[in-house]
Amino acid sequence: MQNPHRRHFLKISALSAGAMLVSVTLPLRTRSSSAQQPVSPQWCVYVSINRDNSVVMQSPIMEMGQFMRTAGPMILADEMDLDWSLIRFDLNMPTYLTRNRKGDLVYDHAQIGTGGSQTLKNNWTYLRTAGATIRRMMIEEAAERWDCSPERLTARLSQIIDTPTGRKFSYGDLAEKAARRQVDTNKLKLKQPAQFHIMGKNQPAIDARDIVTGAPLFGIDENYANALRVAIDRAPAMGAQIAGYDKKAALAVPGVRQVVEMPHESGPHWPDGETQLRAAGVAVLADSFWAAMRGKDALKTTWKDTHQYAGLNSKAHRETLKALARSDQPGKHLRDDGEVTRALQQADKVLEHCYERSFLAHACMEPLNCIADVRKDSATVVVGHQWPHAAALAVEEIAGIDALKVEVINKRMGGGFGRKGEADYLREAIWLSHKVGQPVQVIWTRENDMERDFFAPAAAVQIRAGVKQGRIHGWHMRHAQTAGEAESHNFPAHLVRDCRIESLAGNEPFPLGTWRGPRQMQQAFAIESMLDELAHAAAADPLAFRLALMEPAKAHPIDYWAADHLDSGRMARCYRSAAEMAGWGRKLEKGEGLGIAGHVTFGTYVAFVLQVHVDDNKQLSLQKAWGAIDCGFAVNPNHIRAQMEGGFIDGLNAALFNEAVIEDSRVQTRNFGQLRWMRMGETPLEIETEIIESDREPTGVGEPPVPPAPAALANAIFAASGLRLRRMPFSEHIRI
Amino acid sequence: MAIHFSVNQQEVEVGPGEEEMPLLWFLREKLRLTGSKFGCGIGQCGACTVHINGTAVRSCLLPVGQLQGSQIRTIEGLAPTGQLHPVQQAWLDQDVPQCGYCQAGQIMAAVSLLERINQPTDQQISDNMTNICRCGTYTRIRKAIRQAAETHAEKPVTEA
Ligand code: FES
Ligand code: FES
Repeated sequence: MQNPHRRHFLKISALSAGAMLVSVTLPLRTRSSSAQQPVSPQWCVYVSINRDNSVVMQSPIMEMGQFMRTAGPMILADEMDLDWSLIRFDLNMPTYLTRNRKGDLVYDHAQIGTGGSQTLKNNWTYLRTAGATIRRMMIEEAAERWDCSPERLTARLSQIIDTPTGRKFSYGDLAEKAARRQVDTNKLKLKQPAQFHIMGKNQPAIDARDIVTGAPLFGIDENYANALRVAIDRAPAMGAQIAGYDKKAALAVPGVRQVVEMPHESGPHWPDGETQLRAAGVAVLADSFWAAMRGKDALKTTWKDTHQYAGLNSKAHRETLKALARSDQPGKHLRDDGEVTRALQQADKVLEHCYERSFLAHACMEPLNCIADVRKDSATVVVGHQWPHAAALAVEEIAGIDALKVEVINKRMGGGFGRKGEADYLREAIWLSHKVGQPVQVIWTRENDMERDFFAPAAAVQIRAGVKQGRIHGWHMRHAQTAGEAESHNFPAHLVRDCRIESLAGNEPFPLGTWRGPRQMQQAFAIESMLDELAHAAAADPLAFRLALMEPAKAHPIDYWAADHLDSGRMARCYRSAAEMAGWGRKLEKGEGLGIAGHVTFGTYVAFVLQVHVDDNKQLSLQKAWGAIDCGFAVNPNHIRAQMEGGFIDGLNAALFNEAVIEDSRVQTRNFGQLRWMRMGETPLEIETEIIESDREPTGVGEPPVPPAPAALANAIFAASGLRLRRMPFSEHIRI
Repeated sequence: MAIHFSVNQQEVEVGPGEEEMPLLWFLREKLRLTGSKFGCGIGQCGACTVHINGTAVRSCLLPVGQLQGSQIRTIEGLAPTGQLHPVQQAWLDQDVPQCGYCQAGQIMAAVSLLERINQPTDQQISDNMTNICRCGTYTRIRKAIRQAAETHAEKPVTEA
């Protein structure tokens, strides 16, 4: 322990001086609205500067494997001109919450939540402004002490330097007084990208060492005082109710303390409208999770099915979607440019195909878990969740405790992929703790996790497209999915004169949720497969065909929440880079083939080329992949590469294996025994990435590498073998 | 007779009625060694991989009652002096982890692979590294194993 008298944290000084150091208006995005609201950047909650010039920093952003826990501090520290090596990271992550003027619960300070590949974008200006504010405070404090103009001083590596004289102050010398300063926001100057000294360079993850040594970083590792461990026997069929169970037998298991019935809960949900939010279940509370699981087995619960969700069947649903996409039942016209019917009549050749995808499971490596300690008028929730304010809201709703009296402690998530944005696993722990008046830690088994998933919707996309003189002439896409709508802006819209996009919904009450670029993936699968088929029909090279389509390079304005334009030049650049790296056009061995595909997801451009081998027995192996990404300024290049690798593999896994099967409203794919998952042996040996250099504002990289994968694979398999796969999962049609 | 075995060179004893408890839960809940992870509970994912007498084993199905006299090593025992094991170092150098949840199991599997085959081919890596990584860090795991193998090549392992 350091001597407390020497620990003069900037934090303390700043708070005692009043928190409102500066006030700027920054965009704040909450889950439900994108309204502009003023927030006060109390940066000091994340940064403490010690007298000895060392810094303790908390990451302002959540982590689920997308490296935001590292990117957040990089942005802040860069604008602060900190010496990265002097920072010690405090891995505790409280949630700072407040209410806006309307009384809605919102994040105070940074937008800690993560999802939709928007995290970096949402925090970019805020964290930079906060960092620049601190830098300016240091400069002004030094200027006053030296009695000189602040404009002649520079900040560098945790020091303020007066270049003409060579004199210096360390931040540690200045912090305490600097923190009391009021800064004129007009004097803040954000850096130019060329001035960045931390961003733009490879920084390892701030907690990588803790990961490789097995430190307890995850919610499931937490040993919360007096918490009972809970396993829940959940209804196997959607909507089923408890018929009976042997409470005595469960209580007879050593270590089991209580058995509690948990009611079924249905309600409105996105994007499926109304579905089961929580299965009925019997909770077994015990001294250890092992005892709780044994107690659960002893229950021998019996269930009675109800009619609400009777007869849900995923295979039949897929056929329904396919029939819908191929029918002439009019869908919602999202786009209707030119005269698509006439164009298709005039085309030299017309192709018509349907591209299908199954329900996708999330299977986060860390099974869902949550600790809730609901007390009389306050509560603590310890959890890895993508939107931690949801925990505070759930406590407020279930226990009637003001959300601002709820402490939400954030843990690193062992994967999120949209699943950890759902509130179900928070709500049941909170409900239970409130009910039994004791802290609980609910841990899901893998079977619970796969049975009670909110899947990415199944989809069937029918495309009718023509070619005339080697160019696309007419494009009619009918997009049917379980629920939710297609997007209207994707290429080849804007590039093809006659283009119609229709959206249809299957509307059966399967539980659905967000996934990793799911809609984008099915669109890219259909569009990029069809582009390939058209190129072959026109006897053109698939790359040349795409590049010709992208001509002329132009930014097309779009009306879309995550980007305001779609730039065919940026897309073409990615196709070209990936193809160049792959040596597109080179001579290949027998059975080898290269496939290309790209997509723009939430404003980020990605293209991949994949090389595969298919032998005479239809045995597939994935050899190597090359990807190019344009995500604006590359904050941490190595982590962008990591997302390109992992995201592409996730997309390949979806294409090859990921199919959640539901029969008679029961999920059949209940563990990795029934749901095959990609492993080392099936993965390409290498994935190379090129990051297109750019000074544009950064856009997300968590989801964009996923969507091109299935089409890149389908196109490569076709190039290698002549076999055209249009239905995921491909492992039903080819050996791997 | 009570069951005794060692975990990271510390003797432990199995209490009465605990014989059926899988090693994973014994480690996580009794010893509070939470580096070994629960991923599937059925021996499929490898998140719970530890070493038993030097061999990588999935601990989620293995009752502690069967471990009389065994030597168990977990991720927490890989760097007893604080100096990282070359495989852990390679993992850092390649910046392998994404969410990180599978990585203790991956590292334990890799250490065991390299102890048996110190210069594995790509095929041997594929055949032996069968743990699931939901984040898809496989290409980096492969690179890290290649790097660690090179370190091994320079410095032969003396430890059994
Ligand atoms: S938890 Fe043991 S193999 Fe998955
Ligand atoms: S790093 Fe997330 S599961 Fe492997």
